[in-house]
Amino acid sequence: MAVNMKMPILIVDDYKTMLRIVRNLLTKLGFSDIDEATDGMDALAKLKNRNYGLVVSDWNMQPMTGYELLQKVRGDDRLKSLPFVMVTAESKVENVIAARQAGVNNYIIKPFSAEVLKAKLKTVLGDF
Amino acid sequence: MMGKGKLDLVERLTNECIDLCQTVLRGRKRLEPLLDPAFRTQKLLRAVNEQKTAVNEMEAAVDRIIAAVERMSEIDFSDAAAAEQQLSACCDEIMEACCFQDLTGQRMSQVNDTLNEVEAVLASIADGRASPQVSVAGESLLNGPALPGNGVEQDVVDRLLATSEGRR
Repeated sequence: MAVNMKMPILIVDDYKTMLRIVRNLLTKLGFSDIDEATDGMDALAKLKNRNYGLVVSDWNMQPMTGYELLQKVRGDDRLKSLPFVMVTAESKVENVIAARQAGVNNYIIKPFSAEVLKAKLKTVLGDF
Repeated sequence: MMGKGKLDLVERLTNECIDLCQTVLRGRKRLEPLLDPAFRTQKLLRAVNEQKTAVNEMEAAVDRIIAAVERMSEIDFSDAAAAEQQLSACCDEIMEACCFQDLTGQRMSQVNDTLNEVEAVLASIADGRASPQVSVAGESLLNGPALPGNGVEQDVVDRLLATSEGRR
């Protein structure tokens, strides 16, 4: 099934520069409906109010980290199957394993290229 | 035989030496948190390395951005389709290079945290208060960007995800 390029996507990062970078790269890939949140709490509030098709989240944020957000999402009946991609500088093996066990769909290490982002999104969403 | 005046002087000097030694020992005691090998290796050394890495990352990012801008200035716009493609690649390059701000920001936060801890210990010594405890790395999953050679690359992450996926 073709990917709906108009589906709402939520990007979560506490660095405004990263939000801009990810937004720009997603826009270039053809996605047009992109919302932003600056930490897990902010993201959770937005997720409760809108049906998103994908979350692209940083890990290291306060007061709620991306990892905690992922756990909340997977623990919520309405959100538990929402595709969730972690884009983070946390690059220890234990981080990747913990995220995987919490149910992350893919994990991108910062700094990343537009090509890597595209490839991982294709893995999660299907070809577009 | 020493006169009483000289004896008093020797006694006073001895007492001053004892006071001085006690002051030095108290100072050393208060500096103990900073002399803790765990703090020195995990925090101070790491802060120095984070700062060096941040400087290198900034330099690399600026180099990358300048190189992309130079390529943009050399694009031949007589072939519009090819020019658009080259321009787009240069924009991607610049966008990707700007990721450095997040990484260096996280690295400098760690340097700031360490400096704040050192400052708190030094301030307590100056004020004659007991030294606060300093932190050392715990079991947290939050480590920030890895120092060169310490983290895993994307291909390793991909393999880890594939492996755990296979086990499910």
